Amino acid sequence: MATRNHSPGGPMFTVDYINKRDNDVGYVYYPEAEKPTTMTSLGSSTSSGTEYTVRVPKNTSKKYNIMAFNSGDKVNCSAWTQARMERDMSARRIYGEEESQDGAAGSEFGKKQREEARRKKYGIVTREFKVEDQPWILKVNGKAGKRFKGQKKGGVTENASYYIFTQCPDGAFEAFPVHGWYNFTPLAKHRTLTAEEAEEEWGRRNKVVNHFSIMLQRRFREQERGPDDEDEGEKSGKKKKKGGGRGGDLRIHDLEEDLEMSSDDSDSSMGDDGESKAKAKKDKGKGKGKKKKKKGGEHEALEDSDDGDYEGLEVDYMSDESSSDEEPEKGQPSKAEEHPKGIDEASESEEESEEEKPNEEETKEEEEEEEGKKTPVQAEKKKKKDSSGESESSDDSDIEGETASALFMKKRTPPKRGGGRGSAGSSRTGSRPGTPSIDSAATSNTLRAAASKLEQGKRPTPGPGTDSPAAKRLKMEPSSQSPAPSGKSTPQPPSGKSTPSSSDVQLTEEAVRRYLIRKPMTTKDLLKKFQTKRTGLSSEQTVNVLAQILKRLNPERKNVNDKMHFYLTE
Amino acid sequence: MSEKGEVDLTGAKQNTGVWLVKVPKYLAQQWAKATGRGEVGKLRICKKGNLGKAEVSFTLNEELTVIEGIEDKTVSAPREHPFTMQTVGGQTLAVFTENSSDKIALEGVVVQRAECRPAVSESYMRLKRLQIEESSKPVRLSQQLQSPVTNNYKPVANHTYNLEYDRRKKEEGKRARADKQQVLDMLFSAFEKHQYYNIKDLVDITKQPVLFLRRIYLKEILRDIGIYNVKGTHKNTWELKPEYRHYQGEEKTDE
Repeated sequence: MATRNHSPGGPMFTVDYINKRDNDVGYVYYPEAEKPTTMTSLGSSTSSGTEYTVRVPKNTSKKYNIMAFNSGDKVNCSAWTQARMERDMSARRIYGEEESQDGAAGSEFGKKQREEARRKKYGIVTREFKVEDQPWILKVNGKAGKRFKGQKKGGVTENASYYIFTQCPDGAFEAFPVHGWYNFTPLAKHRTLTAEEAEEEWGRRNKVVNHFSIMLQRRFREQERGPDDEDEGEKSGKKKKKGGGRGGDLRIHDLEEDLEMSSDDSDSSMGDDGESKAKAKKDKGKGKGKKKKKKGGEHEALEDSDDGDYEGLEVDYMSDESSSDEEPEKGQPSKAEEHPKGIDEASESEEESEEEKPNEEETKEEEEEEEGKKTPVQAEKKKKKDSSGESESSDDSDIEGETASALFMKKRTPPKRGGGRGSAGSSRTGSRPGTPSIDSAATSNTLRAAASKLEQGKRPTPGPGTDSPAAKRLKMEPSSQSPAPSGKSTPQPPSGKSTPSSSDVQLTEEAVRRYLIRKPMTTKDLLKKFQTKRTGLSSEQTVNVLAQILKRLNPERKNVNDKMHFYLTE
Repeated sequence: MSEKGEVDLTGAKQNTGVWLVKVPKYLAQQWAKATGRGEVGKLRICKKGNLGKAEVSFTLNEELTVIEGIEDKTVSAPREHPFTMQTVGGQTLAVFTENSSDKIALEGVVVQRAECRPAVSESYMRLKRLQIEESSKPVRLSQQLQSPVTNNYKPVANHTYNLEYDRRKKEEGKRARADKQQVLDMLFSAFEKHQYYNIKDLVDITKQPVLFLRRIYLKEILRDIGIYNVKGTHKNTWELKPEYRHYQGEEKTDE
């Protein structure tokens, strides 16, 4: 029998159960998911409204926050399979102070108190690092999924409170106050340029033809940067690098120069150079300015050519499209004074006087500038040339003897080098014509060029290798090369001569002999090979030991370009 | 790392819908005073309103309407609060919660936004007036002192300070020089804690008398075992000689 049940509910709804056997249709009618609650009184006065209780739970341990996405991002939370979220603590080291551990070397008694007193004296107020205010990093769907950064929106809880109303199974609403509001924005997974790099590229946008190579180079740089950072003492006397580094990382300006110019402070200058080189990755060197200034000052009197020479010189580190020509030279003259002095004296050789060396540099620079003028004004070309020009003593020695990482320093002037070191003028002029073929993408050419250069050693090759403008090809080659010579010790495959340059290159007779057999080198270059940072000796010791070794080896001497070079024949 | 950053996605998967409601400050304060299970009022949802849209209104419970202002002025808060419903728009608003144990869970997605407005009434006006009065009071206040401050005579030398000074002088009497080994021990233990020390701090630690005579003595000892360096930081500090050092991160031999 059919039974009819009438629920004892209010007048708003009826529940009818009708047995199917009666062939009637039964309805179950619930208005708006409303169910009787213990506290509600049903039967509101309005016709179709329903009442719900609102509760504000008192002591919940959970803090409610809002995660806001932009509408354009089309985020669908239900499609997430897995998510991880953590606070982004990267700002902590900015705020936090470095703590030297107690008992560790270098700690000072009462250092903290003194630091604090000092800050108070100068009125430095550091804002506290609050974990609560740090942004969130949200990673959705694992490694390959999207990433978001959630920044806290301020001012949300100041004048009005937000509450989250959720409906409970019993029909009542529960309201939770919103603790914080975070705006989540998607993070780009592809590589981007930093602000400085972007500025620089912007400045060159009219000249650069192949924009795709920008990120390519940046990737190379990053690869190099990895192994390079470890061994600081980059000998590549590339002030260029230093200048380049100004684009990207720390910029060391005045202090460095002062150190370099001071005659007694060779160590720090070398050290600084090393560091800056390690940091310097930008091949589009900016900021060579100050070096140039100095150099210009020194050698004004000697130069015949005049005003036009300094056209391309940068005075300010921010100038773009600067040619990196003069930079390395500047470094060299200053170094030249100290080291050869020591070695020459020590080895009692009556070779060139000290003046010769600076003069040597000067003449070199003169030539450089002239050539710089001659070459068509293309930023990269000029840079390449100049870098090639100046690099002779530094580059060559560096490349050949140095770590593979030095090899990757950009601006390894492509081809041209051909010449062994020393013969600055000749090799330069000889190789100059070869360079103009470099195009904008050629900075990565340098890698290839450097590779080919190593291969050929001293043979003057107008660098055919560098004439491969195709970015693809470049990509292939340098990338194949880069993994190999990663880090410190793996030498360039093609070159048989690269030393196992590691960060602790030893100043041994064997090493010197190897260098000298390969090609003639000046004392300065030899010194560059055995930088104090690498060998662990002080500069004086280096000088002494090197002098002794030279005495023992008694290499042959020849004058190249008015510079005394040592060499050995097998 | 499995637990720590993991977000509990149950709410998102169930597509739990919640409302985001903006509530006036005074109402939030009243809600915080709720007792018992936390019931604060009733929410009424009418399907058919004037415009054919749903009308939502919140009624505050009777006992929560009493607002106490400063100086014992009590005002009665309005009871009726209609809600203004708004759409979420294209924006996706999700709600996540953070546990006290740093567990993060996604509770749901906001489906409806609303603003809670008080129904304009006499009581509301009074409430607002009270608020304005309170906020217009200046934060700082000048008050006249009843009695002048009388307890800061300026002594020539502070009495307590004097006593302390005398005591210190007595304590620091001349130490016997025979203590050399002891002083050495003290120095070594001090240098175990930090590498660099200022001469003043060393004097303090070893409690050697500060007098010129004694300081020379301490300096002699220091010269034996330590080196003085102008470190580049402006302080001149003492440190142990290399052969006496044994720090982590320095491969030096033991004493």
